Amino acid sequence: MTIGGIPLAAFVTAMLAAGLVAAAPLVMAALGEAVGEKSGLLNLGIEGMMLCGAFFGFYAAYQTGTALWGVLAGIGAGLTLGLLFAILTVSLRVDQVLVGLAITIFGGGLTAFLYRDIFGGQNPSLNVDTPRLAIPLLSRIPILGDAVFNQGLLFYLAFAFVPVFTFLLARTRFGLQVRAVGEHPFAADAAGVDVARTRYIAALIAGTMAGLAGAFLSVADLKIFQVGMTVGTGFIALALTMVGGWNPYRILLASVLFGLLRSLGNGLQILGINVRTEFITMLPYIGIMVALALLAGRTSLPAALGVPYARGRR
Amino acid sequence: MTRAGFAPSRFTPLLTSLAAIAAALILGGVFLAMRGKDPIAAYSMLISRGLGTSYGITETLIRMAPLLIVSAGLLISLRAGVWNIGIDGQLLVGALFAGVAAAAIVGQVPSPVMWMVAALAGMSGGLLWALVPGILRVRWGLNEIITTLMMNYVALNLTSWLVKGPVKDPAVVPPQTILIPRELRLPAIPGTTVHVGLLVGLIVVLLVTVLFRNTVIGFMLDVLGRNRQAAIHAGMPVNRLTLVALLASGALAGLAGANDILGVKGLFQGNWNPGYGFAAFALVYLARLNSLWLIPFAYFLSFLAIGGEMMARPLGIPTYFVEMLEGLMLICFAVATYVERMRSPFARAEEVETGPANAGEPPGPVLGDGLLEPVAQSSGGQL
Repeated sequence: MTIGGIPLAAFVTAMLAAGLVAAAPLVMAALGEAVGEKSGLLNLGIEGMMLCGAFFGFYAAYQTGTALWGVLAGIGAGLTLGLLFAILTVSLRVDQVLVGLAITIFGGGLTAFLYRDIFGGQNPSLNVDTPRLAIPLLSRIPILGDAVFNQGLLFYLAFAFVPVFTFLLARTRFGLQVRAVGEHPFAADAAGVDVARTRYIAALIAGTMAGLAGAFLSVADLKIFQVGMTVGTGFIALALTMVGGWNPYRILLASVLFGLLRSLGNGLQILGINVRTEFITMLPYIGIMVALALLAGRTSLPAALGVPYARGRR
Repeated sequence: MTRAGFAPSRFTPLLTSLAAIAAALILGGVFLAMRGKDPIAAYSMLISRGLGTSYGITETLIRMAPLLIVSAGLLISLRAGVWNIGIDGQLLVGALFAGVAAAAIVGQVPSPVMWMVAALAGMSGGLLWALVPGILRVRWGLNEIITTLMMNYVALNLTSWLVKGPVKDPAVVPPQTILIPRELRLPAIPGTTVHVGLLVGLIVVLLVTVLFRNTVIGFMLDVLGRNRQAAIHAGMPVNRLTLVALLASGALAGLAGANDILGVKGLFQGNWNPGYGFAAFALVYLARLNSLWLIPFAYFLSFLAIGGEMMARPLGIPTYFVEMLEGLMLICFAVATYVERMRSPFARAEEVETGPANAGEPPGPVLGDGLLEPVAQSSGGQL
């Protein structure tokens, strides 16, 4: 059976692969954001952090010719901005939305400036090796195998973070501290949890994951950098965190659904089906709002989200 | 313990902003130097071209108009503690509505009638776009930060879809609405080449000032933004006020879109997205949520943008430098508000207030404190 001249199985595989590749950075960024939010930090800087991860990752990979350095540089950029976010919101107790937007604006301007300043009018693409790793046997599964089990290393890593973060949040001392600090910082403090330290670590994790997600976009997936290339991916990750109710597996589900919806739009276009791309492109955003409305009342926010904590000084 | 030599005055908040701007300019200069460019030459050209040429001043004043309108609207919502981050989307939808409305009647009615119709269409477009997050907020308790952000992307796609199909000018190839001839657009302020949109912007700012100084609604919005619990206990219609704040800022964003269509562009183009939203955020914060202070700061930010464009080519400094400066200003502003708070005579009291009795309450006002409280306290705390 063929569809638009392409064998149906091949088409489905391609759609699936594209959807999962689109979901991978969302999963990473959203998992980091979930840890941050669980600790009481709403990070709207995630978009700027991703963009910086994408640019510095791209630049390092371009200079060294090695994908690994690109990924490390992306992580470094995210980590640095995560630290800035923590200093401003945790230590200086400035409003989180203000700081987040400031970082997003700064990241957008900085990366665009540097890209144009360094590369002028050119738009080079990376010449780095990001090998596909076919998982033995599993990659032979018809239709599914080639999409899910024949991808790059960072792709697997993105999805491997899901059980890791589940364990981190639900089963470790740190996870318990994060949740306590996000629900009731005063009680956590009284119980001996270092609120500031816990939130700093959470912010650093959020920054790292955002930077990594950005590096995935530029180094692993597209192999180019474009001014403002994240086009809201960070904000989408922020929304998916909430759709997923801060639960890593539900975040995974929401991200994959979002990615598939997005790749479906491109797929229909490839098939020449007469639907306006823009019309399809806006569906996932509407989907997020509908999902949030449907889930309203079933998930509860960390009680201290967005609220700075200061211990009473005597 | 005494705090040496510091008497807070009504200008302290202003000084905080000015210090933040100065720090950002210095950091930006250091950054330029690190990139092997001469910061002194850059800033002096920025000033000489942006402030010293009639072209620079005219362009600055033209750019000020939408910025003033948008940020006056954003100020309403932020004063009420409502995070409208969907300015860009509301502006786009408003601009499209205005472009379509103007194109439908252009030449058939006197120009002033067309302007009024297009302005109303623009406002209703922005209002409609703010209505969705507004309803989601008051009906289901969904946090407006996420929904207004998502609505931006829906707007971007929806407008570029509409302008490619249903409302496209069939006579031309590129996706755009029918062009309003230059002579039918907004006229210039007599003696200048700046269109009257600037006056609209100034009037809007004055109206918002009156709203907060002289009206009950403005007072209630302020109470809501400062202390939501107090507003609830005082029996204020909290949901309706939240909706009013969102809709007002949406309508004004739409008006700003109409302003650009009627004054500058003459048509709505696909993929046009001026992105005033972030600049408006920087502006409203630097003006310390004070509507009259929007005017000088709007001039300053517009001057930076225009001067940045004018110096870009001769000095080889990409225009994105100005966007980076805006981000730096906000980051420096964040630090500056901390310094301001610590130096305030009330600093000690604030620290004590965050003891057990008030656990979970925000420690002290940065800017309309507790702006996120609606999130944490909205019916059962849902998003």
